[in-house]
Amino acid sequence: MPASSLAKSAIFAAVLVIISIILWELFLRSKGFEITYNDDPSLWTNKRDMVYEPADKATVFIGSSRIKFDLDIPTWEGITGNHAIQLACVGSNPVPILENLAADNNFKGRLVVDVTEGLFFDKSADQRPRDNMKYYTERTPSQRASFYVNQLLESQFVMLDKEWLSLGAMMDKLPVNNRPGVYKFGGFPAGFGRVNFNRQEYMTDKFSSDTVMQNIVKNIWVACIKASKEPPPTGAMVDTMIMSVKIAVDKIQARGGQVFFIRTPSSGGAKIGETMFFPREKYWDKLLAVTKCPGLHYEDYPAIDHFICPENSHLSLTDAKTFTINFIKILSEEKGWKFPKPIAL
Amino acid sequence: MVFNSYTFIVFFILILILHNLPFSWKTKKINLLLASYVFYAAWNPPFILLLWLSTVVDFFVGRALYTQDNVAKKRLLLVVSLIGNLGMLCFFKYGTFVLDNFVTLVNAMGVNYHPARPNIILPAGISFYTFTTLCYTIDMYKRKSEPVKSMLDFSLFVTFFPHLVAGPIVRPPQLVPQFETEHKATQNQLLQGLFLMTLGLFMKVVLADSMLSATANTVFGSEGKLLALDAWMGVLAFSGQIFFDFAGYSTCAIGVAMTLGFVLPQNFFYPYAAIGFSDFWRRWHITLSAWLRDYLYIPLGGNRNGKVRTYINLMITMLLGGLWHGANWTFVVWGGLHGFYLWVEKVIADYRHDKVAAIETTASEEVGVLGPVPETFKPKNFRNFSIALFTFFLINVTWVFFRANTFTKAWYLLKSMFGFMAKEAPMLTTLSIIKVSVIVTCMVIAHWVMRNTKVLDVVPKLSWWLLGTVWTVMLLLIILSQESSSSFIYFQF
Repeated sequence: MPASSLAKSAIFAAVLVIISIILWELFLRSKGFEITYNDDPSLWTNKRDMVYEPADKATVFIGSSRIKFDLDIPTWEGITGNHAIQLACVGSNPVPILENLAADNNFKGRLVVDVTEGLFFDKSADQRPRDNMKYYTERTPSQRASFYVNQLLESQFVMLDKEWLSLGAMMDKLPVNNRPGVYKFGGFPAGFGRVNFNRQEYMTDKFSSDTVMQNIVKNIWVACIKASKEPPPTGAMVDTMIMSVKIAVDKIQARGGQVFFIRTPSSGGAKIGETMFFPREKYWDKLLAVTKCPGLHYEDYPAIDHFICPENSHLSLTDAKTFTINFIKILSEEKGWKFPKPIAL
Repeated sequence: MVFNSYTFIVFFILILILHNLPFSWKTKKINLLLASYVFYAAWNPPFILLLWLSTVVDFFVGRALYTQDNVAKKRLLLVVSLIGNLGMLCFFKYGTFVLDNFVTLVNAMGVNYHPARPNIILPAGISFYTFTTLCYTIDMYKRKSEPVKSMLDFSLFVTFFPHLVAGPIVRPPQLVPQFETEHKATQNQLLQGLFLMTLGLFMKVVLADSMLSATANTVFGSEGKLLALDAWMGVLAFSGQIFFDFAGYSTCAIGVAMTLGFVLPQNFFYPYAAIGFSDFWRRWHITLSAWLRDYLYIPLGGNRNGKVRTYINLMITMLLGGLWHGANWTFVVWGGLHGFYLWVEKVIADYRHDKVAAIETTASEEVGVLGPVPETFKPKNFRNFSIALFTFFLINVTWVFFRANTFTKAWYLLKSMFGFMAKEAPMLTTLSIIKVSVIVTCMVIAHWVMRNTKVLDVVPKLSWWLLGTVWTVMLLLIILSQESSSSFIYFQF
């Protein structure tokens, strides 16, 4: 082929690609899609690098998805002047991350541990934290550089949303029937679990008001519970788990760090199930008693005990703001936490 | 740095600009060398020391080997080079494997020995650049080619970033002469290179990562007790994944080199259209099979010492070729199975007095390029297509050992594939089955249709708008896949 023909093909392709991308991006924006970040190990690692900030300047949060939704970081940082470093991982047990921080002698800061009993006491729910920590320790210079290019692009293009808008994700949503017995995770609706660069997750206003989408997520929680093969741990197993948490907590406290446990709200079926399978006195109360750490259970405070979670497990963005304000108030007035900014609520 | 990352795109644009600025040829070569070190250091900077050591030692040893007339000294120098190169490879790649096997052996003999497991990190590309430098010193020993005159050219030959990490495994006569005179891509080469890069990324990002890897991971990550349909789909998915992943990398590497004005040897030639196994090894990882032929099989005696010895040499070559891929006995069995297939093929060929020998046949005088030799251009008829399909079927059986990390898993999977497992629940979604079926079928057909030609021979026959449309579709699917930065399978080898 003469060079001129090849050049024509290349220019033709470049023009078509640019036009297609612009049209696709405009279409998605017209449908209400917003910028979201891929909550992958590189983003987690970016936050993990920050945990060495002084205790009076920053607070590290670990846990499962609830603290990612329920802590509104702009509200926290705006009121306290304290940097919130979000290391929680969705669908995961936070204990491996707690142990990782405990083993890191340079970490001497403040740590808030979110406790969702179904995950906190499930040792098998550790894949995501382990993947993140592996990436953190094995990250190459190339991956460091790629992170900055990736986040620059993700901050500009709505279409760069791997969970909902990648080729694989879109194909997975095709209505194709499966053979009986095949489990297929249908995925969350697009309005659930948008991710900011600070790793806060939130549900869109549309999701917060759309009961059809909320019911899809509620059904996913039910399916997850049905799919779990092991019953909740009890007795000596729980004691062993709590002892391993205490060992990690003691290490952090021994070098001047602070650990605080929090139980964030749930409602509806999730609350009923959690009360039934994880009675407070056998799990939460025991955790605080053994570790001798301060903690906050939402049921103890009327100001944060009234929330209705749209899909039973996480707060809407509006409620997350209210929850965060009250959380800061409790920390400041009752738990003796000091922040860079004077708290006036 | 991987080709399928945004970092590489930025890096590549900078290199392309630098290479086209009006610098002297020496400055451009220094730029390329420094860029190659940056490319390599982007994985793990300290391992660049190994690369330097290998480069410096082999440059001087190679020169001494060529000029030395004393046979004893010459052999000593060769041994130094072999120990240096293979020693590093053995330590980093096989250290833990050897220790594990030694511990198993002494424990079986009743000795209670449990040493701490060493945490050895495998330097990226060590298997590839070791073979690149080894062939240089062996060629110098045999005086098959002239020693490289300049350290800069030799360093660039070893380190040139398109081939450094996962091949194609180049030999000095293929690349060094290209560094001796100024090379800059013509407009046609630049565009062809960009097209090959797009094609390579499409194969890797869209087909291997986005479409096939999940199914392969699901099936090989299970306990191996599956319905036959699910087991076959998993194996076929891996069959496609490994081809698209590795051939995609090679295609990118060739494309990148071409945009800079250099030509790298072809590494894949539609392997799933192979009619038999000797044909397969002329089409799959061509530069490795040619290397094994020229630097292992032929030095072992090839087919010059009678039939029995030929069979033994063939099996040794394939077993070591298997071990080259990974420090696990499953890779050895994979190589052994290919050796067995080649045996059977050779028995048939000997019985029929065919002229095609098992692995060593090459009509090409060009050093290191096994490539498509004329006798592989068998007619595309129904009989040969049936043989190609049967070859593909048997290759899929070998992939089970290549991908499964234990023999137990491999055995369960094989039993599942051939219906010897108790009835299990279905696992794969209908969509996964459709994706694998469509892609693998299209892949086999495309290989058959294209088996005697090359992509760049077909491209000129397309109208500009059709080529532009195909190019657009590939680019859009790459962008939509959003699968950046995942590593290539062959990096672990």
